[in-house]
Amino acid sequence: MLCQNCNKNEANMHMKRIINGRAAEVHLCSDCARSLGYGEAFSGMGFSFADFFGDFLLKNESLASSVRCGFCGKTFEEIATDGKMGCAECYNSFYEKLLPSLTRVHGKTAHIGKRPINAGGGDALNIEELKTRLEKAVLNQDFETAAKLRDEIKALLSKGGEA
Amino acid sequence: MSAKWYLGTGAQNDVVISTSIHIARNITQFPFPATLSLQDKLKVNAIVKDAASSVTDYRFNYYEMKMLSQSEVVSLAERHLVSPEFASSRDGRALLLTEDEAVSIMLNEEDHIRLQVMYAGFALDEAYRTADRIDTSLNTKLDFAFDDKLGFLSQDPASLGTGMKASVVLHLPGLVTTSQITRLITTVSKLGLSLRGSYGEGAAAKGDLFRLSNTITLGISEKAAIENLKSIALQIAAQERVAREEIFKAPVTEDRIYRAYGVLKYARLIDTAEFMELISLVRLGAVKGIINMECSEIEAMMIQMQPATISLSVDRPLDRIERDKLRAQLVRHNLK
Repeated sequence: MLCQNCNKNEANMHMKRIINGRAAEVHLCSDCARSLGYGEAFSGMGFSFADFFGDFLLKNESLASSVRCGFCGKTFEEIATDGKMGCAECYNSFYEKLLPSLTRVHGKTAHIGKRPINAGGGDALNIEELKTRLEKAVLNQDFETAAKLRDEIKALLSKGGEA
Repeated sequence: MSAKWYLGTGAQNDVVISTSIHIARNITQFPFPATLSLQDKLKVNAIVKDAASSVTDYRFNYYEMKMLSQSEVVSLAERHLVSPEFASSRDGRALLLTEDEAVSIMLNEEDHIRLQVMYAGFALDEAYRTADRIDTSLNTKLDFAFDDKLGFLSQDPASLGTGMKASVVLHLPGLVTTSQITRLITTVSKLGLSLRGSYGEGAAAKGDLFRLSNTITLGISEKAAIENLKSIALQIAAQERVAREEIFKAPVTEDRIYRAYGVLKYARLIDTAEFMELISLVRLGAVKGIINMECSEIEAMMIQMQPATISLSVDRPLDRIERDKLRAQLVRHNLK
């Protein structure tokens, strides 16, 4: 049996997975299995994208390869193969195609939580904390730290204000 | 050199060994690492290195992965300071690391920035507070790729949203001995978490060490994800304590602990697998009070006895036998 991912090498890893409530078998060669994140020796630091693109692999969908991301030039087919988005713009270019998989992996598709300063997320608590520490540093005559803190606060305030 | 983070003792230390927070970030103007040219990777390294130098209270040492030996890089992975994936390919990658090794920033791994904060014991809130502060501080110098709907954008769509992964390393000899691990792994996976061997996978996890992490990052706030993880970790810890009481009812458990201690104390050759199996029993005995050792000493040993880290303690490459001999010698010395 050939590997379901590359269709070139003999499949030597066979796994049963539950996809959308159905049991399905996956057959991969060892190279593809490794690149898809199966059977890594250590764990805990990476996110497995095999879970993410399991659907594409199993259904063996023919994916349109004509559309390329305007910024990095990656096609959706390439992304589905290696599981890696090319750049931030890819999310715009292929948003609709990604949505079903996002729902399956995360259950939800709308972000809740921290926002970066460059998207208006200046963290008020953080500024307060920095100010307290700045006062302390001045009291202790630790001017090197105080200068750093002052710059940090200034940067937080100005960036937060821009957005 | 300052004391390493793992030499400290933390809360819930009978079961919870350590806590870590990972945060993934990308800089807006560059494509993600897999599509980034070597030249641009070096630019990213330089920019983040510069931004990190202005973070107050934390001083980072900077290492280009290419400048380190294979053993040094693998040892970083054994100490969980970088991912094994990061260690596998070194071109264009760099690491920012504090002296106590509690904060590390992998540059150009799956994302431009992978920030990690590690604490001994059970310290999710403290670790997150530190990670959050460093993240915000870097953000004052760098613009992070972000989308209103999808959150922080990552090369890996599975970490969209908060880009934050929290984890605790648990010592679960009781649940392993009473064969409850497989069931537990299935149960937590239904709760948006994963439980995997910290060294080695599944039932073959070395040293009965398991890592519990959140897998869902989109549509859940950092705080909610941490609260969720915290509550499941505490439930697992409670189950582990019950299982330990159960196995200590059989005299064979105490016997196994003393035998493990005996072998560690007198053996002349020990490979990693045997060491991890025995030290796990000794840790169980130390928590129970029948072996007179501190958990922090044992955890430090678990890290220091890994193959590449052992090889670094001498100045020349070691073959297998030499390494097992040196490990046995160091272990005997540690057990006095």
